[in-house]
Amino acid sequence: MGVIKKNKWPLITILIVIVTLMFVIAVGFTIGFLSEDPDGLERVLIDYYGEEWLENLFSPWVPFLSWLSNDYVAGIIGIVLSIVVLTGTFYLITRLKKKKVKQSGLIQ
Amino acid sequence: MHLPDGLLDPITIIVLWIITIATMIFGYFRMGKMFEKEDTEKLIPYIGVLAAIIFAFQFVNYPVPGGTSGHLVGGTLVAIILGPWASVIVLFLILVIQSLFGDGGITVLGVNAFNMGIIGGIVGFYLVMLFVRLLNHTSMKKEYKLTIATAIGSYIAIVLASFICGIEIAISGTIPFEIAVPAMVFWHILIGIGEGIISALIVFYIYKTKPEFITTESMLKVK
Repeated sequence: MGVIKKNKWPLITILIVIVTLMFVIAVGFTIGFLSEDPDGLERVLIDYYGEEWLENLFSPWVPFLSWLSNDYVAGIIGIVLSIVVLTGTFYLITRLKKKKVKQSGLIQ
Repeated sequence: MHLPDGLLDPITIIVLWIITIATMIFGYFRMGKMFEKEDTEKLIPYIGVLAAIIFAFQFVNYPVPGGTSGHLVGGTLVAIILGPWASVIVLFLILVIQSLFGDGGITVLGVNAFNMGIIGGIVGFYLVMLFVRLLNHTSMKKEYKLTIATAIGSYIAIVLASFICGIEIAISGTIPFEIAVPAMVFWHILIGIGEGIISALIVFYIYKTKPEFITTESMLKVK
């Protein structure tokens, strides 16, 4: 509980951002603002080789989450994963850097 | 601009993986004093939020005339907020997550991180720095200088990344140079407008509300 209390505002911000982003995505698709057309690179490849060629490119693996066909669910999972992975990584980076500073301080 | 597997030749992939990994290792040591400060922990949850924003904006495609679409890459945006070296690590991790959904290949992760993180992030950041210095000669307000520099810098970075991406496709022998490069650049001249606008609006908003989150302000020397 103490951790939640200490990080109240960051956690509230995260929740607000997630809800806002999902709302923007949902509204965007619903009113047809967001496009399902290929992006720039796909457009170039499709123009040259065709859509079928692009879909049949060899890949050495099957993406773990490619079975998710619902865009909203994929979006939510992706956003949550991004928060967890990036927060975790930068927490570790910060810890390591501070440890280094402390150690160098002791040596001096 | 997410390259899929099976498009590039192994040499191009290996060379760009080496460059990306070397940049990330070098970047870790160059990431600056920001991550050594006493109160850095406060910033960490917001890095997660920034990652969520980048993921979501890369996920949604806005329409572009000519039957194509664009999405934010966000390299320059992250570089302005967290610094150029941190941006490569952030973009790499986001690309890893996206590859789990089949958006971008796994073998070409290093190449995608090179295009979006190193070109989009590091090069984009120094372009923004250049434009800030040019705009410092005007009497414009600080927030407008940074916003305009962000828009121009991120726009050029995306077009440049598409140019590099075109070269990678061409040297891999997938599509001839004279077709790949002009086509990639042409579409991204249009797509980059969205990148510039979205990046500039986000930077403007953060600079107005929480300027301390633009951790590179002193580096950019906005006056």
